[in-house]
Parts: sequence; structure tokens; C-alpha cells
Amino acid sequence: MRRYLLGRVLRTVPVVFGVVTVVFLLIHLLPGDPVEIMLGESAAPAQKEELRRELHLDRPILSQYASFLAGIPRGDFGVSFRSREPVLGEIARRIPATVLLAATSITMAVFVSLPLGVLAAMRRGKTADYLSGFAAMLSLSIPNFLLGPLLVLLFSVQLGLLPVSGYGVGRPLVLPAITLGTGMAALLTRMVRATLLEELRKEYVTAAIARGLPYRSAVARHALRNALVPVVTALGLSFGAVLAGSVITETIFSWPGIGRLLIQAIDARDYPVVQGCVLVIALSTVTVNLATDILCARLDPRIRYE
Amino acid sequence: MFGIFRLSILFPASLAFLTLASCAQKLPIDEGRMVIALPGAPVNVDPRVATDAYGEQILQMTHASLVGRDAAGEPLPDLAHRWESPDPLTYIFHLRPGLRFHDGRPLTSADVRYTFTWILDAANRSPHRGLYRHLASIDAPDPLTVVFRLSEPFAPFLSTMVRGIVPAGSPARGYAPPVGAGPYRIDDLSPDGEAVLSAYDGYYGGPPAIRAVTVKFIPDSNVRFLELKMGSVNFALNGVDPDLLPAAKRAGRLVVEEGAGGNVTYLGFNLRDRALSDARVRRAIALAIDRETIIRTIWKGRADPVESILPPGSWAHDPDLPAVRFDPARARHLLDEAGFPDPDGDGPLPRLRMTYKTSQNEVRRRVATVIQEQLRQVGISIEIQSLEWGTFFSDIKKGNFQIYSLTWVGIADPDIFHHAFHSRSAPPEGANRGGYSDAEVDRLTEAARSEPSRERRRGMYRQVQRILARDLPVFPLWAGRNLLVRDRRLEGFVLTPNESYAPVRAMRIVPDSSAPSTGGRR
Repeated sequence: MRRYLLGRVLRTVPVVFGVVTVVFLLIHLLPGDPVEIMLGESAAPAQKEELRRELHLDRPILSQYASFLAGIPRGDFGVSFRSREPVLGEIARRIPATVLLAATSITMAVFVSLPLGVLAAMRRGKTADYLSGFAAMLSLSIPNFLLGPLLVLLFSVQLGLLPVSGYGVGRPLVLPAITLGTGMAALLTRMVRATLLEELRKEYVTAAIARGLPYRSAVARHALRNALVPVVTALGLSFGAVLAGSVITETIFSWPGIGRLLIQAIDARDYPVVQGCVLVIALSTVTVNLATDILCARLDPRIRYE
Repeated sequence: MFGIFRLSILFPASLAFLTLASCAQKLPIDEGRMVIALPGAPVNVDPRVATDAYGEQILQMTHASLVGRDAAGEPLPDLAHRWESPDPLTYIFHLRPGLRFHDGRPLTSADVRYTFTWILDAANRSPHRGLYRHLASIDAPDPLTVVFRLSEPFAPFLSTMVRGIVPAGSPARGYAPPVGAGPYRIDDLSPDGEAVLSAYDGYYGGPPAIRAVTVKFIPDSNVRFLELKMGSVNFALNGVDPDLLPAAKRAGRLVVEEGAGGNVTYLGFNLRDRALSDARVRRAIALAIDRETIIRTIWKGRADPVESILPPGSWAHDPDLPAVRFDPARARHLLDEAGFPDPDGDGPLPRLRMTYKTSQNEVRRRVATVIQEQLRQVGISIEIQSLEWGTFFSDIKKGNFQIYSLTWVGIADPDIFHHAFHSRSAPPEGANRGGYSDAEVDRLTEAARSEPSRERRRGMYRQVQRILARDLPVFPLWAGRNLLVRDRRLEGFVLTPNESYAPVRAMRIVPDSSAPSTGGRR
């Protein structure tokens, strides 16, 4: 187990390194000069040069890259060009908001998709199955940027139940979490249904029912557990999608998280913040995927720590 | 597993409970609080380093400066109740007696000197340093007098004194802004969230009537509108799309106000381009654009055509400039003259092909499409390139364009003509992006900079505007009107062309029996 974990952690290093390198190169390749965006048009050329030196933007790109990499182990992601605050602090200030939103929407997706998927599989070909399939397709087809405003129109404007935007644990959280979690819930519902149907066709289920076990128990005790393995994997993989979706959702609902910080940083060509955000997002995605793999091995003893 | 089923019922139920709980909350305005929506979060709320519009707008409520500015851009007394300039190199400001910062410290000439010395100190890397490069020395002979000496005459000097004063010794910290002496103090500032302001009773102009102001940063324009409609936001200056204004007017609690705007949208031409170097081609393009139609259809009438990039409210604006009137026949004639005849009469072949660069702003893209169609009518084929802002602006500064569209925001002084049209004002120092060069414009804009007489300066700038109207190195299109959407119970705000938030201090909440009270359905 320990060897497996160590191996997995070591294998994540090139992934994170690759992501960070590609983003570093891409953001530097983008046209647009952070110094000009910061100082405005009226600044004297000497002043711009001074700032460029100060921000180390006058150094060759390889040297900038090297000092960025050297800072990572020390937790030093540099200083934001815009706010002049340490990048780590900027990100840390917004992490709670993003974690709260992502965790709520994933929890919501799980609690909605599991029963719906099981129901659809058990009532295959019946109305409940068709309805759940229709709802899943509909939810998958509506993009976040449309679903968010539609929910606001219904729950905030028409019914007056929820605030339009803002940050908080209670009422302000509901609409952003639904917006972000709906697509994932739909995907998981279909997945649960498909994998459960596959399991139900297997001989051990038939054998269990033949032994006189009630159908519901056969599903709940035996088939569902095995059907959940690919679902947990999908859940882990869709964590990245949730973080990506939070960029849009946070903007719609004025949610002060990392997604919004990243958008603003890209607009201002605030290189250190963009790199820091991407690094944090890459690290958390990799970590969640690692946790998923471990969880899968727990769920299914046939999966070995190899 | 059936536990999961039970949980899955509990979860939505708890969400619903959260939703319904505290539904009977009061609206902010019922509690005497005003909520302002800004389209973005400020990067910095320190007057010494803030450059972004949202930071400046909060500072207009929280930090007082030596002088203010009226609607025409003329200086007004603020912390300094009077000033004099015994010679073009010296400005003496006299502070009001008894001024205090929000934390109770007295505000004296030493704080004024500190603020500007801090900006000028290269170690502090203030983006405003370039603006004060003409300053030779700042003296504080007594607590109520500040003397600024310049190294060379610089007529726009007073317009640069609109800079919030901070207490001597204030460190620069991004999210803990230094205290000011304006009508409101900052109680809390959360990045990307909101700024909470409260009235400052020691303000020299008297305490503001509205005791609490929250500034919410809401990037999405539809969300801003919906918040206004629900009453959770009560004030948005230029925060609602023109398309949504009819709906805002229908909402009983909201009032829409319009005022002349100071931001001029224009078409820029690259004069290094073979065709566009010919003034007849530039004029033909201007004549082929029907501004009235664009203003009526896209701007819903909420813009005014202009003939100069200096907004009509400015003291140096020339009201008698000849207007460019829509005349496609004359445009075709000018193109013929310039050597671009129509190759196939009514056929599909154009006389000229050009690219038109613009940002990804939705309204700008729609304007570009209409201009594309209007120019097609006179035989000019336009390819629209709508680019992400950083890329777009970088292209414009590098001269990598034929035609582009941009807006001059917050022009405070006619010295803009030196910045935008002097032959030595090429980017990156200046904004003469099209490569325009005219000896007379160079001479006049240089002379006006060091001319102490306001009247003579005005005369010089009027001449400059006539030359520019003749040569059309850029084609000024329109000045968008400022649009305020506010709760009908909020009164006392005066719209100014420069979108100033300073008048917020004069606002008050009036009881209004005819307005829907706690918001009907909420």
C-alpha cells in the first residue's frame, strides 16, 4: 500500500510539472503587456522599464521560469502584479469560497444522482427510466452560463426566495451550487444506471436472487457496490470539470473564489496569479484523483494496490 | 443504500428550508442602507497607487483631495479652500482649518507633502509617478499651507491634484487601505466581494445623510439588473445595459436618469496604410457611417454624436465644429477621387478591403457589424476582428491595425490632444497610434501646455480641434450618456459627465408611500 501510494504520488509530479510548464509558456506567449496594463498609457518609458525590472520581466523567459519553479517548494508563488500581495495569500483568501461551492455541488450531485440512477436501472424501460433519462439529457444540454440566469429568474426574481448573488453559507449558496452541480448530477445519473444494469446482468446477481434474496437486497447489497467503482472514478475525474465550471459560475453569482480570481488575472496578464491558480487547481485535481483510486480499491478488493 | 435514499430526500429538503428561512428579510433601503453595484472589484483602494476605475470610484467617496473637479473639468475647492499661482511654476494651496482623518488624526500640510513625496519616490513604484514628473519640490511652510514648485510650466497641473490625501507614514497594503478624510470611511473590504462604508461624522462638509453604504462587485450585467429589480441593490451608474432599461422602467421601485457622458467612442485609422493615408478615404468612411441610426438602434438613443474627442461638457470643447453628416453619395465620390473606383458597379466586388478591430464587448461587436454593412454600401469591404482585450489593445499600441474602435474614458484636460495627436506621442509613451503628424497641431499642443491663461489655452485647443476635424486622423463617433438606475426613494445624486461618485455624499433616503415597500413578492 505504502509503495503504491509513493509510486502514485511520484507519478503526479510530471503531470503537475507538465501543466504548469504549458501554462507558463502559454500565458507568456499571449499578446498584452502586464506593465502597460498596470501603469496605463500615460507612464513614461523609463518608469515602465523600471517596473519591468522590478517584476523581473526583463529577464529571459527561461530564467523567469526557473525562479518560478524554485519558489514552488518554498510555497513562494511570487507577488501579484496587480495587488502587490503575495500570490499564495491571494489564493488562500479565495480557497474557502471555491471549496465550499465545489463541495456543496458535488455532494448535491451525488445525493441526486445515486437514487435517480438506481431507480432508472431498476425500472428499466418504464416511465421513471424515461423521465430520469430525459431530465439528465436536458440538464447536460444546458450550459452553466444559461442555467445560472434561468435559476435566478425563477427562484430570485419570480418567487423571491433566494438572493441573486453574493457569498455565504446559507441562502446565497443554493443557486450557485445547483448551477455547478446539475451537469455533474446528470452525468452521474446516467453512469449509475448504465453500470448498475451491467452488474444486474451478471451471474452472481442471478445466483443471489435464485438463492431467494429479495431483488431489492440483491441490488443494494451486491450489485450497487460493484457498480459504484466506475462511478467513483467518474466522480473524481469530474472534479476537474467542477473547478473549470466554477470559473463561469463564480462570475455569474459574484462568488469570490479562485475561478473569478483566475479570470481577472488573465485579463490583467497577472502572470504570477495565473500560474499560482493553475498550480493549485492542478494539484487539487491530481490529489482528488489519487484519493479516488484509493477509494476504488477499498470498494472493490479485486483492484490491487499495484 | 436506502439510507442514501432517505438522505437524498433530506438534502433537497434542507436546501428548501434554507431557502425559505428568513424570507421575510427587510430590504437594505428599509434599514437606511444603500447598496451600490459596481461591475468589477477594485484592484487597489489606495489613492497613491490605484489606477482602475472601480478603485477610483470608491476613493471618490472615501478620500478627499486638495481640489475637486466640476462637470466641465474646472477645479473646485476640496481640502484646500483656496489656492493661487503667483507664477506659472508655483502653486500655493491653503487647507481648511480643523481637518481630520477618519481615525481622528489632524490633516495638515505635512500629510499632503507626504502623499505626493511617497508617489514620487521611485522605490514605491506608484503608477502615478509619471503624472507628477513636473514637480520640482513640495514645501509645507505651516500646517495649513502647501507650496508646489514645478520644473517647467505645466498648465494642466491643477487637474492632477485630484488625488486622495493619506496620513503621513501610511504603509501601502493592498487590502487594508489607508484612512482618508472623505465623507465615508471603509469599514470592511473583501476582495471580489463587497466594500462596507459608513458615514464619517467629522467630514468637513458635514456628515452624509445615508449612514451606511455597501458597494457590491457584480461582474454580470444581467445579475446587476436583477438585483436592482429585487431591491437588493439600489444604485447602479452605467451598470445596466441599454437593452434592459425599458424593463428597469417598468419595475415600480426603479428610476432611470440620463446625463451627458464624457466618454467618447471613436474610429481610429492607421495613417501608415496606403489607402487610409489619404484624408479623402478617411472622410469617405466617416460620411458612409450613419451615426444617427446606430445611436437609435443599438444605443436606444442613449448617446450623442460628437465631432471631437474632447467631450462637449469640457471647458475647451469647440461647439462650432463642422458636423460630419451621413452622405453615402459623397463618400463614393471621394473614393473615386482618391483612386478607388468601383470595379463592377452594382456587382459584388469592393473598391477596398479593410480589417476593423474591436474588443469582445457585445455592444461594440454589434456596432462593428452595422458599420460593416454601412461601409459595404459604398463599396468598402470590412472584415471584423473581435479580440480579447489584452490582445486587442496590444495590437492597437503596436500599430497592427487598419481601423479600430475604442473609447476615451475620463478625459480630464484638453492636454489629451498632445497625448493623442502630437507627432512625438507615438506609443508606448503617447497614444498617437495611427501615426498622425501635423506641424501646426504639434506647435499648438506644446504651446497650450505652458500657457497660463485659460482663455488663450481655450483658443489654441479650438484651433487644434478644427485641424483634426479637417484631417480626421480619428473619427469621433458619439459620447454615450451616463445612465443611472436607482431606487425611487434615493434622492440628491447629481450625474456628472465624468461618472463621479463624489455626489453620493449628498444623497438621502426619502419615505415614499407610493413605492412598493418591502418589495411585494420577496
